[in-house]
Amino acid sequence: MAAADSPSAALRRRDLCSRGIRLAGKMRADVVDLLDAYVEQQGLDASASVAAVEGVPLAAVERWDEQTGTQRLLENLAAYRAFRALLAQMLEEQREQLGEADAGLGRALAAVLLQVSAFAYHLEELLRLESRGIPGEEGDGPPPPPRLSLFEQKLRGLGVLRELAQWAVRSGRDLRQLAKPSPANGAAPGLAESP
Amino acid sequence: MFSRWNWVACGFYLVLSICSPDASGGLVQSCGHIIPESPVLALGSNFTALCILNESCLDFGNIYASQIIWKIKNRLVPKEQYREINRTVSSVTFNDTSSLATPLTCNILADGQIEQNIYGITVTVGLAPEKPKNLSCIVHQVSKLTYVMTCTWNPGRHTFLDTQFRLKYRWPEEVFPDCIPKDVNNSCTVTDIQFFVNTVIWVEATNALGKAESDPLVVDPIDIVKPLAPQNVSVSSEVLSTVLKLSWENSILDPVMKLKFNIRYRIVGDTNWMEIPSEDTASPRTSFSVQGLRPYTEYVFSIRCMKEDGVGYWSDWSEEESGITTEDQPSKGPPIWRIIDTSHLPAFWTVHLIWKALKPSEANGVILQYEVAVRDKSSLSSPVKKYNVTGTNHTLELREGTYEVTLIARNSAGASPPSVLLIPASNSKAPVKNLRTIPKHDKLWVGWTAPNSYVLKYVIEWCLVSSSSDCIIEWQIAHGDVQGIYLKGIKPFKCYLITVYPLYADGQGSGQSVKAYLKQDRPSKGPTVQTKKVGKAEAVLTWNHLTVEEQNGFIRNYTILYKTIDGNETVVTVDPSKTEYTLSSLTSDTLYTVRMMASTDNGSRTGPDFTFTTQKFGKGEIEAIVVPVCLAFLLIVLLGVLFCFNKRDLIKKHIWPIVPDPSKSNIAQWSPQVPAKHNFNSKDQMYPEGSFTDVSVVEIEADDKKSFSEQDLKPFDLLKKEKSTSEGHSSGIGGSSCMSSPRQSVSDSDEGETTQNTSSTVQYSTVVLNGYRDQTPVQVFSRSESTQPLLDSEERSEDHAGGADSTAQRQQYFRQNGGQDETNTDRPCFERAKQITHAHEGDLVGFVQLQISGQSSQPLGLVGMEKNTQEAAVSNVLQTCTEGQTVRPETVEENPLSVDEMPKSYLPQTVRQGGYMPQ
Repeated sequence: MAAADSPSAALRRRDLCSRGIRLAGKMRADVVDLLDAYVEQQGLDASASVAAVEGVPLAAVERWDEQTGTQRLLENLAAYRAFRALLAQMLEEQREQLGEADAGLGRALAAVLLQVSAFAYHLEELLRLESRGIPGEEGDGPPPPPRLSLFEQKLRGLGVLRELAQWAVRSGRDLRQLAKPSPANGAAPGLAESP
Repeated sequence: MFSRWNWVACGFYLVLSICSPDASGGLVQSCGHIIPESPVLALGSNFTALCILNESCLDFGNIYASQIIWKIKNRLVPKEQYREINRTVSSVTFNDTSSLATPLTCNILADGQIEQNIYGITVTVGLAPEKPKNLSCIVHQVSKLTYVMTCTWNPGRHTFLDTQFRLKYRWPEEVFPDCIPKDVNNSCTVTDIQFFVNTVIWVEATNALGKAESDPLVVDPIDIVKPLAPQNVSVSSEVLSTVLKLSWENSILDPVMKLKFNIRYRIVGDTNWMEIPSEDTASPRTSFSVQGLRPYTEYVFSIRCMKEDGVGYWSDWSEEESGITTEDQPSKGPPIWRIIDTSHLPAFWTVHLIWKALKPSEANGVILQYEVAVRDKSSLSSPVKKYNVTGTNHTLELREGTYEVTLIARNSAGASPPSVLLIPASNSKAPVKNLRTIPKHDKLWVGWTAPNSYVLKYVIEWCLVSSSSDCIIEWQIAHGDVQGIYLKGIKPFKCYLITVYPLYADGQGSGQSVKAYLKQDRPSKGPTVQTKKVGKAEAVLTWNHLTVEEQNGFIRNYTILYKTIDGNETVVTVDPSKTEYTLSSLTSDTLYTVRMMASTDNGSRTGPDFTFTTQKFGKGEIEAIVVPVCLAFLLIVLLGVLFCFNKRDLIKKHIWPIVPDPSKSNIAQWSPQVPAKHNFNSKDQMYPEGSFTDVSVVEIEADDKKSFSEQDLKPFDLLKKEKSTSEGHSSGIGGSSCMSSPRQSVSDSDEGETTQNTSSTVQYSTVVLNGYRDQTPVQVFSRSESTQPLLDSEERSEDHAGGADSTAQRQQYFRQNGGQDETNTDRPCFERAKQITHAHEGDLVGFVQLQISGQSSQPLGLVGMEKNTQEAAVSNVLQTCTEGQTVRPETVEENPLSVDEMPKSYLPQTVRQGGYMPQ
């Protein structure tokens, strides 16, 4: 907390929150666009129901407003680390299936993957500013996915992107909540930024 | 013998070895090599190379390190730089690699003389890369979802080596692939850009001599974005005539970037842009209503955007889009003025109402018509006359008086405020004062001093003054509180007549005029000068004024320049109002060249040269010379005549000696009884008329006889004696040419003879012999009245007289008078004798006329006549002589005929005293 009290730390935190919020917004927009392209390219039904993806925390949570800042950061970090691994696997599977035939979808996936990584970096930086230890990635990471059929891979990809879109929304709100001035934790004044 | 073969073998081996220096692993092994092999050296550093000989060559070829020489590109390296390390190794050292060149070769002098190459290396000299500087990056939006980042840097000095630049960028936990420039070394474009994460960007330069990195640039690519300009811009008019709504589409997604905008606009045709205040467009939007515009005006809009927080770059301006605001009623009435023509009918005006079309900013739409209302203020009962006009002028016929004209312009949105013009019966109010013009910045400023009374407005009229066309009036209205305006549309070098009228609430002031030029130039031509009158010492020059088109400015003066051919030029400045000037103090009878120059404020122009010659004499000078000369001549002539008259005796004595009277000669004692045949024709042929050159008339008056001196009379006596003693003196003289008229003869014969007798009377000449002083007397013949026949001897002589030139052979005719006294008193007229001098035929010969008059009242002069006037002169003389003797001239003219006929009828005359009878 000592680091958070310094003006530079406050500015840094504010900057990270600001960028994180805008990154979450862009990530959501890109994921929505990617979802459309993915559904079309994979031949899926956009209204198809997909079961929860294993290893990805659900964005929906009870008593969201009662969560602390650190708790929000940790849940977000866990989720985005999981998304990073899943998107990397999706990208690998995409290249195996289509090769260079649909480079556009691959580039879009890669871009989202980069955004997920960047957001995870933001979260880690915020946790450092909170003087909280960053959990190890190996231990917290999702278990290796089982070998799935091609259709199952497509459905899982659809589920990953949908969940990522929801997480992007929640992350924006989480960071906006963190950016608000909080007398309890002595945080810097919140940002007026809104997505 | 062995040694000789040994040396041959060694040489052959050496050649084989050297010919394949790089075939160490091949068939032939090199005799040595250089270390280092093809080095890359830093420019300016020192360098040492070693040439190492193979041991095998030492023994067999007898070559050692001491025989090694180094060469740089066939140039021998000084041996001071060599060092023999051992018998197989030689080194060479260069303190500065800039002196190096490729190749560097190691050579050996075989047998002390033959140079053979052992090995060679390529040396590359260059510089290590400098640290790249000034790294900057910008993210260009290529499409709605595509961004590229282009970074540029300063690569530093040229390295002379192959240097690779790499643009590197990474996140704290993510490393991206390098961006390698293509074809350039100072920029690179990254296509994989992720926003909202601080990215570390730097440039790495690498070559054989080293590596250098730029300072890192840490930036979130979103902060260096130059977005695409807004697209699909459209403009729509609103209900209000001063508002236009601008709409557009943003090319960048709101989640990615929030935008702010700049909106600029201008009136079509105008180049100056106006800009909406930036604070009004600082928030994200896709439309904006621009207010405060002019009604019915076409505007052009353009828009640009950038990140809302101002970090980054403005986009380019969008495509321009135009829109027109709706109409509004005209904001003001048209300026109105009048031109009154009073020349048509007395007591009536032809009033030309003229007004200017409203400016677009004032019309606020399309003017559909103008409404003119005219009210006669001098008659309250007269109705207001209204006219609807679509043009900008209207002509009225009005009785002289005071009128109020109201003008309204109307468009689809409404009517303008009225413009009112008062036309007074007379412009009796005070005019403006101190009217002046000043050219300023290519415009003509007209200024004046306001009258003391309050002026509503001023009307400024101006027109281009032309010599060939009427003045077309332009006009402008100025507000009453100004005292000067700029006139528009004024051309340089043209003369304008400017008039200013003050308009009062209750009348109009008289106009004040001034002529002005916006710019002056020198005249386009010079005046053509000519002379009106040229005298001895003065010349009157005239010229015409230049036309206003030729003047190009105010003519300040004329300059007359005149000179003689070899003289200095004289300059005279003349007032520009004059068209005539008199040059004075000129030299007489001299050729002058004159030209004329017209000058404005900006220069002069000279007209053509004109030459004239002054007169030799002044006015009246010739008369002053000629008249006195003539008078003097006449006076001299008169004096001469008087002198001659007074000295006539003396003159007579010299040029007309006294002819002795033949009647007193001895021959007078005889009288021929038979008239001798005489051929007068021959005489006429001999002395044809007109062959006389000199005619001398000696007048002997009877009274003057007394004045003859005794000595003068002696010759007569002597002649008498000689006549009486010698006939030779009286013979040989040509025929008588006495011109006595027949009438005279008639009058002479009237005393006792009939006319017929008279006609047959033979007239004889009287020979007068007179010796002048001591000279031989000249034989002169005087007409004789004798009818006596000539002596036979004389007839015979006469017969032989044709062509004779001797006086002795000349025929002589005598006229015998009655006596000396009678001769003096009775000689009626004159007797003319011809003294023929021999000359060529046709030449002028002397003609002497001797007249002896009893009265001697009429002086006779010595007359010299030319051949062609001789006959008339003779006639005149005859007339003069006969006046006193009542002898008609025509009778004289008949005389030659009678003379011609004389030989046909010679009859003896009555012998009087002193006559003679035929023998």
